[in-house]
Amino acid sequence: MNEKQQLELQAYLDGELSARAARRAAGWLAQNPEAQALAAELRMTQGALAGNEPEATVAESREFYWSKIERAIAAAERPEPESRSVPGWRLIWRRLLLPLSGVALATILAVGLIRSGADDPSRHLTEVENLSEFTVSHSFGSDKMFVVWIENRAQTQGDNPQSFDDDDIVIQ
Amino acid sequence: MALQKDKTTLADDQLVRGSQRGDMVAFEELVARHRDKIYARAFSMMRSEDEALDISQEAWVKGWQRLKQFQGESSFVTWMTRIVINLCLDQLRKQKRQKAESIEQMSEDSGGVERQMPVVAANPTEGLERRELRARIDRALNQLSYEHRTVLILHEFEELEYKEIAKRMQCSIGTVMSRLFYARRRMASLLAAFKREELSP
Repeated sequence: MNEKQQLELQAYLDGELSARAARRAAGWLAQNPEAQALAAELRMTQGALAGNEPEATVAESREFYWSKIERAIAAAERPEPESRSVPGWRLIWRRLLLPLSGVALATILAVGLIRSGADDPSRHLTEVENLSEFTVSHSFGSDKMFVVWIENRAQTQGDNPQSFDDDDIVIQ
Repeated sequence: MALQKDKTTLADDQLVRGSQRGDMVAFEELVARHRDKIYARAFSMMRSEDEALDISQEAWVKGWQRLKQFQGESSFVTWMTRIVINLCLDQLRKQKRQKAESIEQMSEDSGGVERQMPVVAANPTEGLERRELRARIDRALNQLSYEHRTVLILHEFEELEYKEIAKRMQCSIGTVMSRLFYARRRMASLLAAFKREELSP
């Protein structure tokens, strides 16, 4: 007998098969001595167990056993204590405090970065040099470029603002 | 005490109705009346007196809390037995998880062994007094794994169908059939072994 046949035989004895499957199992059982022996053993076990469940009794007294149940029921039915320790406005404040402190920290960092950038002399200071009586050079340096432009002194002095020529600018 | 004496004369369904109205004395009488049966079911599944005691008491607490749901389709004690069985199964699953073993992946620990077992031809329980037979069944149950013991208890003692057992044990019907087959064959083998022990000098 294979496993499937054994389990089908058991299901037949337990009344778990459909009418059609049960007829098939009964026919097969009638002709198979091995199945009959197994069926007899399964029936014997079933018969031995029926109505013979081992008994066990509670060792504790009725009062002692009940007292624990009673306490557990009372504890479960006790109303939840009111949240008297923390008033509502404080709870709201606590909820807001975390995001607010995050925003404040981000603002401080941003301001710090901007200010440190403004303090960088290489970004904003322009070096002015008199090349001659009529010309002045301006140089400006940053991280990625260096700009130099030359202009007439007259332009610097505002005599002829339109005379500035783009060709004068040198970018490195 | 006088109140308790009054309640002892009442039938279960009267006590249940009283309990449903919040009468704790009526419920206490129900507990006293059926505590051994509920405890016995917990013990048969857990095999530990302490655990059985705790779980049976927890079952009574749950019973009280769910009394409104009890509609009387079954007897009160059957309803309570279902509660304690579910608590035992929950506890056994927890214990399994703690051992890092999945119930679904658990080894059948039969491994086909049941197919190799010789068939027990002579009834090893014949002529035994009921008390002795129960003692041997208890001893045999103790030697089964919890999965096999549980399926046997649910089928033979609780008379649940395969489908219902599968639902409660959270496994397939095929697994129930396979576990039940092994459990029965092993039970027969153990009862035969106890008989041989008795006969041996």
